[in-house]
Amino acid sequence: MELLAQQIKWQNLLDPETALKITLLMVLGFPLLAALSALAGRSTRKRMSAQSNMLLRKGIFYIGSIALILSVLQQLEFKMGALLGAAGVVGIALGFASQTSVSNIISGLFLVSERPFEVGDLIRVGDTTGVVLSIDLMSVKLRTFDNQYVRLPNENLIKTQVNNLTHFPIRRLDIDLGVAYKEDIEHVKRVLTEVARNNPHCLDEPEPLILFRNLGDSALEFLFAVWSTKEDYLQLKKTILQEVKERFDAESIEIPFPHRTLYTGSVTDPLPIRLITEVNEETTT
Amino acid sequence: MSLWAAQELESGQTYQASIGPLCLWVRRVEDEIQVAEQYTTELEAVTKAAHALQVFNEILPEDLNWSRWIVGAKARPLLLVPQLPNRGCVVRTESPLKIPPGQEATFFVSLPIWVELRLEGKPPLSLTEIPTVVRSNIWFGDAMAGELCYSLLSRARRLAEDADHPPHKAVCPVRIRNQAEDLLNMERFCVHVEHLNLYRGLHLLWTNQVTITFQGEDQVSKVDYHRQVPKMEPNLSLITPARTPLKDTLLKRSLGTFKALTDI
Repeated sequence: MELLAQQIKWQNLLDPETALKITLLMVLGFPLLAALSALAGRSTRKRMSAQSNMLLRKGIFYIGSIALILSVLQQLEFKMGALLGAAGVVGIALGFASQTSVSNIISGLFLVSERPFEVGDLIRVGDTTGVVLSIDLMSVKLRTFDNQYVRLPNENLIKTQVNNLTHFPIRRLDIDLGVAYKEDIEHVKRVLTEVARNNPHCLDEPEPLILFRNLGDSALEFLFAVWSTKEDYLQLKKTILQEVKERFDAESIEIPFPHRTLYTGSVTDPLPIRLITEVNEETTT
Repeated sequence: MSLWAAQELESGQTYQASIGPLCLWVRRVEDEIQVAEQYTTELEAVTKAAHALQVFNEILPEDLNWSRWIVGAKARPLLLVPQLPNRGCVVRTESPLKIPPGQEATFFVSLPIWVELRLEGKPPLSLTEIPTVVRSNIWFGDAMAGELCYSLLSRARRLAEDADHPPHKAVCPVRIRNQAEDLLNMERFCVHVEHLNLYRGLHLLWTNQVTITFQGEDQVSKVDYHRQVPKMEPNLSLITPARTPLKDTLLKRSLGTFKALTDI
């Protein structure tokens, strides 16, 4: 670094013309860059996705900043050859020291080019689900539903499974249901079809899937899968379970709890039961 | 009084209109317009006569949700304006139908209308739009790409007389031509109603004619929205222009969405 500093002719700062140029570059250059970046972002906001818009703004700012710094160095008659030579040596040293950071940066480049998600998408990484706020050089920032700010290093995102919940325009909500063995399967299917048809958030097509899936231990098991737009998904989830319960109650369809029937022998009488209330009455009299 | 005529609103007085399954209540309270709506079933609507806004002196239903707009103290007449839905509508044929190569068929589709509440004046003030039927959504296309449309309960009919003609619906003639070498199996199609004008006839509301030309499974379907006034009735008058005039979206439409237009 000392060697690089020696390459800069600091005495040029004493020249009023050079000093004025450098001051103008620094004082006006950065605000102008910020303004230009914001203007580009604003004018392309409607035509571009949120992510492309953010990349454009950051690209303009970073490239402009590098150009500004190089211009200032040029005013100080700095020789670029020295910088490039030094960069090789410094790069090796820094490379060892900042493996994680470099890995994050390279992972970030992959994330940007591969585009598994964009700013505004809802993603799930491990146990964390949130809306993507920004995709930066080192990390991705999320806002969770309980309003927490989560920073995920890019390296982790490249290595682990990421579920993008809002990539496609429609989503399917799968509900596992069980009804008592005494119920008529066709009747249950008809009731579920009506529940789906009457829910305003449920799409008519793709058609709801009602699958009689299994003869379970205590219930006839169904898969009730309904579709909605990604915007309506939460509303559908909030309403349809309650509607199923209400309709089942109205139609006297039993939702069973786990049953166990106890036998004391091959063909036996039921186990004797004594009511506690009777005991209480006996003790009180 | 015509369903679509302007109505002066007296302050403190409640008015009611009935258009198909939609019951609409409107009242002016000082500088506010308050609006509430309720729906009956389609079946009940058939037996119920539609009527324009009129004074309502009965007891209001308790579960009405009122929406409120501040419109200023000056009284302005309220106009109910029929509008076509704000998204494409998917309609099914009565039963699957086959159209051989070189043949064509015309269908008549009953489109439910939306009611726009508009205060007259210069400029007019649009308050809201309320559908006359309970909407039902459908995804038209595959699960990865497509568009959200309304699903129509009524079926596309071959004869205009067979189509539903209640006052809360407009009739859209759709001509489907098969110019491909394959048989066209018709079950349903999508009408992008946002490109259609609405015309008023003697008894019915009509839209422009649409022609869909099927050019093959892997080809885009060509869709023409005719600009001429439909010739279904004499003396049709334009009542509401298209939400999205066609010339603005012709290229996009012909390249993109229409590929899945017939979904066949």
